[in-house]
Amino acid sequence: MREEPLVRWDWIGRNWPSIQSLLEDHVVMSLVPIVVGLLVALPLGLACVRWRGIYQPTMSVMNVTYSLPSLAVFVMLIPVTGLATRATVIVPLAFYSLAVLIPAVVDGLGSVPDHVRQSAVAMGFTPLRRLLLVELPIAVPVVLAGLRVAAVSSISLVSVGALVGRGGLGYLFIDGWQRQFYTPIIVGVVLVVLLAAIADALLVLAQRLLTPWSRARGTT
Amino acid sequence: MITFDGVTKRYADGTVAVDRLSLEAPTGEITVFVGPSGCGKTTSLRMINRMIDPSEGRVLLDGVDVTTIDPPALRRGIGYVIQQAGLFPHRKIVDNVATVPHLLGWNRKKARDRAMELLERVGLDLGLAERYPFQLSGGQQQRVGVARALAADPPVLLMDEPFSAVDPVVRTSLQEELLRLQAELNKTIVFVTHDIDEAVKLGDRVAVLRVGGHLAQLDDPATLLSRPADDFVREFLGRDRGIRRLSFVPGQEVRLRTDLTAPVSAEVAGLRAAADPWLAVLDEDGRPLGWVKVADLPASGTLADVRPAPYGTFVRGRDSLRAALDATLLSPSGCAIAVDDAGRAEGVVTREALNEALDRVAGGAHA
Repeated sequence: MREEPLVRWDWIGRNWPSIQSLLEDHVVMSLVPIVVGLLVALPLGLACVRWRGIYQPTMSVMNVTYSLPSLAVFVMLIPVTGLATRATVIVPLAFYSLAVLIPAVVDGLGSVPDHVRQSAVAMGFTPLRRLLLVELPIAVPVVLAGLRVAAVSSISLVSVGALVGRGGLGYLFIDGWQRQFYTPIIVGVVLVVLLAAIADALLVLAQRLLTPWSRARGTT
Repeated sequence: MITFDGVTKRYADGTVAVDRLSLEAPTGEITVFVGPSGCGKTTSLRMINRMIDPSEGRVLLDGVDVTTIDPPALRRGIGYVIQQAGLFPHRKIVDNVATVPHLLGWNRKKARDRAMELLERVGLDLGLAERYPFQLSGGQQQRVGVARALAADPPVLLMDEPFSAVDPVVRTSLQEELLRLQAELNKTIVFVTHDIDEAVKLGDRVAVLRVGGHLAQLDDPATLLSRPADDFVREFLGRDRGIRRLSFVPGQEVRLRTDLTAPVSAEVAGLRAAADPWLAVLDEDGRPLGWVKVADLPASGTLADVRPAPYGTFVRGRDSLRAALDATLLSPSGCAIAVDDAGRAEGVVTREALNEALDRVAGGAHA
């Protein structure tokens, strides 16, 4: 009996258009939660720094959310957002990225040395300019570190959505498993890992470009 | 001129940081606030640029109550230097220095030119302009901090322990740099330190504060050292207060003898009859080589054949009596050699001459 090869290249060739559209779907469903998460985490993080009292309660809520299994949340959302829709996957992932990004913003602003903040005050920065021109730029490395974690976990979690009918490349895992046919599974794993690696590399590049001052930083 | 008029700072929990402080920091002079931690010196400083507002009393800047001025506008007109320099880590050195000009809306080119001019002025290599703060040493960062504070040419400069985080050698050079700059710029400077030596070295006037924010004494350094107001000030000035006072007595005060030197080419034979036990040997240009003991001179030859003993010098036109005293302690002869700016000997200061000068100083202290 002729042995089945591990990867059937002809299958990949024939199914390339649908693999491509799954890939696009995957990119959108993992990117949107990160962008939304960042846009929401910035004001919430600022609020947590401004009013220290709300930080702990906010983080408790976020951590509980983070601990909910993604599949359970997807299923619970189906009545609201519909079966096999992007929203069913995007909404929970946005909350997950918030749980990583809010502390990143808070820690980032906390990484501004006190003497730097005070010298900004003493030089006559208004509070808004101080935030935009001094504090946020200095917070960038810490926020970007959080963004890297959020991006990679978001890219990997999208696959779980396949169980509720919308998982981007995750569909390939279910397809391959049901048919005991390994090629789609291997294609899916390789593409997800590649996607995560590319996203991470882009964020590292962004950090190099945005914060040339943070490399080899000393103790100050 | 900066005026503190009955200023008290009391916090919500009842602690009093500054207690009815009244003093003036005259225009164009360096006024130092010195005292132990908890004496309210930094709090007082920060009430000038409204980083803290007083609970009672007023702080006046050229007669205007600072609380009537919008804080950002007030602060842009007052330079500020703090301990760790407080440079913005994400901005290049030139942009750090140009911070206040940017806030004031100067155009880019003018702000940049001004920043470069200041970097040069505080003695920094212009090659550092495009670097980031983490690439500079602590002393260089502190110079940038001073340049940044001066960028918009504010008439007033507040300095909060600016040199206490750098090593002693760098600190000394920064202090001298500040005095040199001040001689050119004549800013109204309020300088906070816990180091009495720094206070005495830099201050035109020194305000000694005690814990709880009371003013213990406000005087020029020489008066402070010679006539401390009370036991607290005396103790704070330290045990070697008498020695340090000599720093304020010019070296010219002391009498010179010119008959105790001999050129290196001199014949030994003619010197063995000298009345004094030691002679200072000078080279062809008149620079000192060291001391020789008359009793130990050989029977013949020149002074070049004798190995001279170590010596100490002071620059008569520039150094203080403290340097002269130090120089006498470095010589086995017990005498100091006075030199000019070029290092040529002007004469010798003997123990007797030094004692006369010290007697005059001590007499002044009791007057």
